[in-house]
Amino acid sequence: MKTSGAFRERLHEAWIELRGNPGRSFLQALGVMLGVASVLGGFSISDSQRQQAQNLFARLGGTDKLNVLPTDTVYQGTRSALSTANRGLSLEDALEGGKVPTAEAVNAVSVLRSARARVRSELADQEREVSGIGADYAALNGYDIEQGRGFSAHDFAAGAPVAVLGSEAASVFFPTGDIVGKTLRIGDVPVTVIGVFREKVFRFREAQGNIFAWRNRIVAVPSLLVAARMEGDDYHRLDRVTFRVPDLAAMADFSKELSSLVTANHRLQDDFRLDDVHKRLERQMSQSDVYNIVFMLSGVLALIGGGMVNVNIQLASLKERVREVGVKMAIGASGREIFKAFMTEAMLLTLLGSAAGYIVGIVFSWAITKSIGTPLSLSPLSFVWATLLAFLFGFLFALYPAAKASRQSPMEALRYE
Amino acid sequence: MKIIETRDLNKIYGSSGNQVHALRGIDLDVERGELVALIGPSGSGKSTLMSILGCLDVPTGGTYSLDGVQVEKLSGAELAAIRNEKIGFVFQQYNLLPRATIVRNVELPMLYAGVPRKERRQRALDLLERVGIPDKANTLPGALSGGQRQRVAIARALANRPALLLADEPTGALDSKTGQEVLALFRELHAQGNTVLLVTHDPAIAALAERRVEMRDGLLYDRQEQAA
Repeated sequence: MKTSGAFRERLHEAWIELRGNPGRSFLQALGVMLGVASVLGGFSISDSQRQQAQNLFARLGGTDKLNVLPTDTVYQGTRSALSTANRGLSLEDALEGGKVPTAEAVNAVSVLRSARARVRSELADQEREVSGIGADYAALNGYDIEQGRGFSAHDFAAGAPVAVLGSEAASVFFPTGDIVGKTLRIGDVPVTVIGVFREKVFRFREAQGNIFAWRNRIVAVPSLLVAARMEGDDYHRLDRVTFRVPDLAAMADFSKELSSLVTANHRLQDDFRLDDVHKRLERQMSQSDVYNIVFMLSGVLALIGGGMVNVNIQLASLKERVREVGVKMAIGASGREIFKAFMTEAMLLTLLGSAAGYIVGIVFSWAITKSIGTPLSLSPLSFVWATLLAFLFGFLFALYPAAKASRQSPMEALRYE
Repeated sequence: MKIIETRDLNKIYGSSGNQVHALRGIDLDVERGELVALIGPSGSGKSTLMSILGCLDVPTGGTYSLDGVQVEKLSGAELAAIRNEKIGFVFQQYNLLPRATIVRNVELPMLYAGVPRKERRQRALDLLERVGIPDKANTLPGALSGGQRQRVAIARALANRPALLLADEPTGALDSKTGQEVLALFRELHAQGNTVLLVTHDPAIAALAERRVEMRDGLLYDRQEQAA
């Protein structure tokens, strides 16, 4: 065929051939379909897990954080002599850390000083973890105010006796619902409740419990209040300083500078450690890449299996079609034309198989993600991959039968019984 | 003008030690517009000669010019083009493509020749009318009788207005009545100026041709006689 419509004609010819052998065509398309479906399904599962993990980190307030943690030795609730003698991690570290040359990359700082204390209201009396927070702690950890107000800069600076409660804590200490403005005794210190955080909920799967339940238990007060009034700590030591660095590339430099600054502040004692949250999570997440490879491999194996079945079917059907090939050659089809006709047929099969595979794959993914209760996630990229792989293997496995058909001698093919 | 001109055509099958000399120096000339019957018993080299004349195979030695083109040295793809352009085949078993409609079967050689779609369709319909089955264009070959299928095959053979119509036992699978009808069609085509080479083993059919050539043991015997 020589005209510009040749491809369309070949496609038409291939379609006639496929339609004429529905059973054979179905079997051949089946392999492609299953391969495409399993690539899609596999990708979708790992995508949806990844999506869910990313949702979690977003709700946690992002992963672009650098934590500074003291490495004091605690034995049965008491600090070791070394860590008591040293000044430990202080608010100055946090404030000066925000001023080092590379600190323009930092867009938020939070500090935490927690303590266990007896917490009492008119209706409840419990031993609780009390979080002394500072600066951007609420924002960095994804807390929103639902009732009342958050801490002001003045509250933090003065260590004002005010508290913001998590939703669980609020309902425990004030079950009647009238919360803001009430007084809570934390240890010996009476504090005024100025606000309530919105309830935080996150489930990996619908049926699972709220893994953020503990975050709703928070009883938050200014860190200075915990350090100075509850613990009587003149140095206002902190349990954690967190810097948010949205530009992950700047993280390494900043962390180096911060490290030398804090070391200098601490009389060269190496009593703290830095924790790059993003790096840590990336290491953990790299496991899911392995799943991706496994899923892709299973799809590839399905495609290879299907491809080999196709070769067999094609070779078997070639016996029936030898004469037909001979006739086509006799009336003027060149070997090249026969080759193209077989390839077109295989590619059309791959196309139809892929289309069916999309549908089956989407149903697959929907059913699986539904059954494990994660949101359905299908990225366009997984369709691209599935299609690419299907066509790659469809093409490779079609080559041999097509070449074999096209190399027939027309005379022998015509005489073939 | 000569349509077929062969000189000292040889064909040897097999390797040395086990050789079959199927053609032993064939000189055959066929003029434009002739109706020639090629007869001979099986094993005479008749089929081999037909394959070479039909450009399905190449000779081991000698020359062959078809409609002015030297074809004995051409490549497979070039031979395919020659078959497409200059030869119309009619087979004993019709050899229609079973899954393509009648009209598509007739269109196929034009498809390979690159005839535009509309013209192709029109020519195929005209040809079907010419061979006497104008109203079955969109049926499949399976729905047709043997005689009708052979007519479709003849229409297909005529599609690219070939220089040579090559018929291999065209009535072999038909009963005598439809066989006569198909032969009548060949005579009609011959009368219209087509060059026809009829391969047969049946002397009665060969008798219809104005010229008969006979193959025996790889050699050709020309009998220039008038048809009865």
